[in-house]
Amino acid sequence: MILGAHRVPADLGSLDPGTHLCALEHDATVLDRIAATFVGQGIAAGDQLLYVASEAQVDGLVRRLSEHLDTGHALATGQLLTSSFEDVYGSSRPEHLGTVADGFRLAAQQVQKRGFPRLRVAARMDDLAGMLGSVDDVVAWERMSTHLQRELQVSSVCLYDTSRLDTGEAATIAREHDGLAPAVDVFPIATFLAVDEPWGVRVTGEVDVSNRRLLHRLVLSRAAVTPRLRVDLDGVTFADAGTVARLRSIAAALPEGGQLVLARVPAVVRRILDATGLGHERLRLEP
Amino acid sequence: MTMPATHTSLLYESDGHYASEAGSFIRDGLEQGHRALVMAPPSRLELLHAELGGDAAGVTFVEDDVAYAPQWKVYRVLLDFAAAAPGVRSCVIAEQTLARRSPAELVDYRRLESAINVVFAEQAVDLLCPYDAGRLPSDLLDIARHSHNGMRVGGGVSPNPTFADPMAVLVDLSDVAPPPTDATTLECSSRSDVAVTRRTVRARGAQVGLAPDLVDDLELAVSEVLTNALLHGSPPTLVHLYEEDDMWVCHVQDGGVLPVDPLAGVVPPTEPSDHGYGLWLSRQLVAAVDVGSDLTGTHVRLHVRMPG
Repeated sequence: MILGAHRVPADLGSLDPGTHLCALEHDATVLDRIAATFVGQGIAAGDQLLYVASEAQVDGLVRRLSEHLDTGHALATGQLLTSSFEDVYGSSRPEHLGTVADGFRLAAQQVQKRGFPRLRVAARMDDLAGMLGSVDDVVAWERMSTHLQRELQVSSVCLYDTSRLDTGEAATIAREHDGLAPAVDVFPIATFLAVDEPWGVRVTGEVDVSNRRLLHRLVLSRAAVTPRLRVDLDGVTFADAGTVARLRSIAAALPEGGQLVLARVPAVVRRILDATGLGHERLRLEP
Repeated sequence: MTMPATHTSLLYESDGHYASEAGSFIRDGLEQGHRALVMAPPSRLELLHAELGGDAAGVTFVEDDVAYAPQWKVYRVLLDFAAAAPGVRSCVIAEQTLARRSPAELVDYRRLESAINVVFAEQAVDLLCPYDAGRLPSDLLDIARHSHNGMRVGGGVSPNPTFADPMAVLVDLSDVAPPPTDATTLECSSRSDVAVTRRTVRARGAQVGLAPDLVDDLELAVSEVLTNALLHGSPPTLVHLYEEDDMWVCHVQDGGVLPVDPLAGVVPPTEPSDHGYGLWLSRQLVAAVDVGSDLTGTHVRLHVRMPG
């Protein structure tokens, strides 16, 4: 049992920002699945995702995720970022862990500027021990990460191939994390993708009391960058009154000159707007 | 200071009787500069049109098929009509074809007629509800006798001695009907169960032969009521599905035993809000909505008509 495992919800959509998870598996395909679950659910929830892995591992993840979401689109908007281990952490032992931390801080600051609520990171850790030199260094690194992630509200999963670790090391590393990341095949009922042109959000699936908070924080993050935005609802198969009422509230709170356009509005949303009379001059329906 | 609303009934014996009373009601209103709205079955609209002649041009006519689909939509039509010209008094005729309503819908219609006295009390509206005394059975005419404080007789209004206190009527009509033992029951413990329930309602609704549009509306109504139960009620939250007479019922039950305001959600929030639309929206979607609570919990029953 891992300390702090209570921090891990069954559903990654509502993961507490700043949660530091790990996966310790000897089977690389299991690690692939855990990475895909973490990245896929994070993107669906509207967050920005960084996958730190080899080119082949990135290709595998993109292929796997494409069954559920428009991965090409997420790559184009930067909602899904990929990077090699060396690019993020360097290829030799850093003087100071602090230097790496500074890079991390910079990345986290960019997240809101690019119109995303939070950053989540999935990282293959295969080369960390080699770079840092010892498992003690890995533990120190992970401990620092836990504090840094809480501070920056960045969630992550550290993916360790246990066949590269000695007996006992896996447990030592696990203790530095909040819990184990799940591998689940059930995809969330809705996906909230950022769109650059025109600036806004694309929604697919069902939005209700279980996930409307995720839509609203992404719309708010987009609106904070540019208060003229378009929410494309073409793929929405269900939405409830609370979802529509809060979109109206976001529109009503936009600054002068701001505008929230609901595009390709499905029948269910029209029905709600009609029956509730919810509307605002800054909430426009694209015909 | 706005004159309070009036809610008057007309028990008409013949087409001629209807035309002369309804016609004089509208003419009186128009002469005083009021706006006029008539919601009625097509045959009544024709009679009134002919009676009013040129005056009909200043009147908005809406068929009951539109204004009462479902019944609580009539509140929306009324509110929208009033909102279109703030400060101007309206005279409104409201009548639907009661003979085709199911028992569950008629219970809801009693609520609707009684609640008007409370929720529209401060509105600048004179409301006349004609009832076809020549054709309707006496139990339906009782709705007229109990829910209107005035009766239109001979071109004027007489006080109605059989008018019943609206809140007492509403409380009387809020008894909880327990689900039958052969109902399908789903337990909803978390927010993610709302989507699961929607899928079940969709599948079962299609099985019993509900039209796709009706299933869409029911799916939305169930989500709203279930969301309210999860956010504001107490566990356990249950959804029972069953047939009752000619209706298919989605019955949401939670553990909350506090009394429910019988006027909850009969009108929408007055100011735009992030919440508070669920029950109002449900009444705009399904044929009838029963709300009540007792020691078994809070119960909301959503009725839709079975096909055929």
